Amino acid sequence: MTSQHLPSAAPSLARLIRELNKLPGVGPKSAQRLAYYIIRLPNEEAFDLAEAISSVKHNIVFCQECQNLTDADPCTLCANPQRNREQICVVEDPLDVLALERTHCYHGRYHVLHGVISPLNGIGPEQLKLKELFPRLANNDVQELVIATNPTLEGEATAMYISRHLQGANIKVTHLARGLPVGGSLEYSDELTLSRAFQGRQEV
Amino acid sequence: MPPPRTYRAEGLVLKNIPFGEADLLVTLYSRESGKLRAVARGARRSNSRMVGHFEPLTVARLSLARGRSLDIVNQVEVTENFSSLKSDLTTLARGLYVAELVDGFGSEASSNRQLYDLAIETLGSIRQHPARELVLRRFELHLMRAAGFMPELFHCVECRKPLEPEQHRFSPDAGGTLCLDCTPSGVQIRTLSLRALKVLRMLHRSGLADLPQLSPHEPLEQEVKSILGTAIGYWMDKEIRTNSFLNHLEHWPRAEVSS
Repeated sequence: MTSQHLPSAAPSLARLIRELNKLPGVGPKSAQRLAYYIIRLPNEEAFDLAEAISSVKHNIVFCQECQNLTDADPCTLCANPQRNREQICVVEDPLDVLALERTHCYHGRYHVLHGVISPLNGIGPEQLKLKELFPRLANNDVQELVIATNPTLEGEATAMYISRHLQGANIKVTHLARGLPVGGSLEYSDELTLSRAFQGRQEV
Repeated sequence: MPPPRTYRAEGLVLKNIPFGEADLLVTLYSRESGKLRAVARGARRSNSRMVGHFEPLTVARLSLARGRSLDIVNQVEVTENFSSLKSDLTTLARGLYVAELVDGFGSEASSNRQLYDLAIETLGSIRQHPARELVLRRFELHLMRAAGFMPELFHCVECRKPLEPEQHRFSPDAGGTLCLDCTPSGVQIRTLSLRALKVLRMLHRSGLADLPQLSPHEPLEQEVKSILGTAIGYWMDKEIRTNSFLNHLEHWPRAEVSS
């Protein structure tokens, strides 16, 4: 959207609308609504928002250990001596770390790939944070690598790639169980999910 | 009379793209009406009845409703998911290459049963014969045939004379083989050995069941791969993205972790 599309807006307002319009999922109308909302905000709230954006761009870096986004390197999870140093859980995105942390089930460390192998989109292993993962496994006392990529074709391809890379290495490679979601139904599950659920059945 | 608001289709899922909050924009190559794109609402939610049904290389039977710009998936049932093909990295990469080429060569709203059957039987063959790369070469040649771009392999495309042994070249832009006397201007011309020409003719004639076994690193197979790759690339007219991953797997890096 160019400023020509907003002939009656003040240049600074048109600029804000243009910038908001670049955000994912924000169309031209939503951008205008957000811009007018920001104008109506009290000054300190609007400046807080601007400062938060500026701060995140200045301070957020990749943790040299796990490649998660952090403002202190190493990140709080990697720096925490209570975390199990023998396990590394590989996830696709920083949001997956938050999701797993909410479960309180896992106490090891993480490695964030920032994507998955997606041949159809031209994303190969070299575009992921894999080259930072393999030295971590070589240099530390890692006993188990838990692959927690999404159960999609791309997630599975990434899991296969990592496990194939580690064939012969003295590390246990596991991945999260595949199967039925809580609240799901057998009737509407696809064959692959059902067969995986069947393979991973557990004694009750 | 207006077309019915709902219809059924069976097709191979070629790709899916996240769409909106939790939807998927699915591209399929259908038996009935060629390439079609439809929205599967909520298919990314883990408790959706459609979750897991739209992974690439899945054959699904769908019930769809016509929308203003995009059709909407009402129901879906998986009929074949090629699970063993997807459980190996190399066969998966080859399957995705097939999907990308079907996406590139298939047209929307135009049925091509030959192309659909070719894709399905090729995926089945990749699953059954994971070591045979020639399955992909046959697919490339027959894909061009099904799409109407079959290169000429028996005559010179310029003078139309039958080719003499040892006296031929290949030009994807000119449409196939050339004799040594004809050099059309402004087209890319490549050398083509007699053995490679014979393999191409044999691929043209043979079914998947009677494909010969060639060593993947044999120069002959590399020459056939390069010739067909040039022709496919010319007609696709865009980068084939799965190629880089296939090449990566071919030159597999060694693990950097101590044993």
